[in-house]
Amino acid sequence: MRLNDYIRMAVGILVAFLFYTIFSRVSPSVLLLFNLFSLIVFYFAVEKGEILGACLGTTCGLFYDYFFIGVYGVAGMSKTVSGYLAGYISRKIDVQPPLRNFIFLFVLLSFELILWALVFSFIVPTRIDTGGGRIFFQPLFTAFLGSILFYLLKKIKKDEY
Amino acid sequence: MPFFLKERKNLTILIALIFFHFMLISLQVPIGEKSSFFEKAVFSVFSPVRHGVLSFFGAIGSIWRNYFDLRNVQEQNDQMLEEIQYLRQENNLLRNALQNFRSEREIEESLLEMHENILPSQVIGLDPDNFYKSVIINKGTLDGIKKNMIVLDKNGNLVGRIIDPVSLKEARVQLITDNESGISVFAQRNRVPGILVGDGKGQCLMKYVLATTRSEEISEGEDVITSGYDRMYPDGIRAGRILLIASDASLHKHIIVEPYFDFRYLDQIAVIMKDPQEFFKD
Repeated sequence: MRLNDYIRMAVGILVAFLFYTIFSRVSPSVLLLFNLFSLIVFYFAVEKGEILGACLGTTCGLFYDYFFIGVYGVAGMSKTVSGYLAGYISRKIDVQPPLRNFIFLFVLLSFELILWALVFSFIVPTRIDTGGGRIFFQPLFTAFLGSILFYLLKKIKKDEY
Repeated sequence: MPFFLKERKNLTILIALIFFHFMLISLQVPIGEKSSFFEKAVFSVFSPVRHGVLSFFGAIGSIWRNYFDLRNVQEQNDQMLEEIQYLRQENNLLRNALQNFRSEREIEESLLEMHENILPSQVIGLDPDNFYKSVIINKGTLDGIKKNMIVLDKNGNLVGRIIDPVSLKEARVQLITDNESGISVFAQRNRVPGILVGDGKGQCLMKYVLATTRSEEISEGEDVITSGYDRMYPDGIRAGRILLIASDASLHKHIIVEPYFDFRYLDQIAVIMKDPQEFFKD
């Protein structure tokens, strides 16, 4: 990995941090629908492999826990596992075509949400607040926007070279 | 490196990371409702950054707003001057009325004490997990904020109390609508006691009022005020209004209370800068 890659990752996390900071004040319900930290994890996991996906999952998960005022490590664990899987699967299957990319993101995000809910309900005795059911739409909404975002990023990258 | 060895190395790293998370979770869980050292440390590190980001965007927003505000400031100014005139007169009338009961010195002292003990603060963050659970304010230990201090809205209605973690410039407020909050209260008219618990959806429930309580003793539309029995909130603070009273087969009545503070206008709040225990010293 080059220095440039580290800078890109840091910028990605910073953008997500700003996004969550601003939206937690302006419109918190958006944060239940759109999981930007997961998209950053998956983007770099696909590009750089499962180990980086897992490490970035750990970092982003801790940030996520900070914003959702939960137990530190719950989102970290689910993002670590899903980040690892994202890198692993993308080595076996080509996930670049937009539709396949959408399905890939949707499956991983759903898996991550289920894992997060399982760990959370195991640790915290209270019921998970679903934000009026909004959280169930998170995989669909994030996968849809994510696949568009990844497609645009790929196009920009192609144009650069 | 052979493929299977690389796979094994990757799996080892994944397991190590999962183990790290297990350790991290286990460090926090046994502490229960108190926040762990780790949680406090993370909150202290990131809250100034978050505070800075919000201030930056807030400053940009205020420049934009100020520009528009300037356009009708003259008109507003005239209106406010007129309003001040009325308020001064009203204030004088009230002071005169009070004078009949207490000496001027006593009045000045109580007004001064009230003024000194109130710290106006601004809400800078909501709990995205549940809006009705807690909010984050822009005042922290540097401003003298301590755990359990009482928080009121701008009209003096009960909003909640300060809970952990409290950082240098930020603190978290547990709202009375949080389902983990419990306050000892009275229905104001006949002082029927109960426990006010949040429903986590913007309203509260007044629990443990016996089903045998007669309808003349407690009725809909009645004010609910703190009783001070919990030695957490001093008595007499307005918390909400009884919206609905229903009886079923259970031992207690089902009473829904609408909090007085308006969630939409929760931008400005006031923290009573007094340790709640001081209210119960006498």
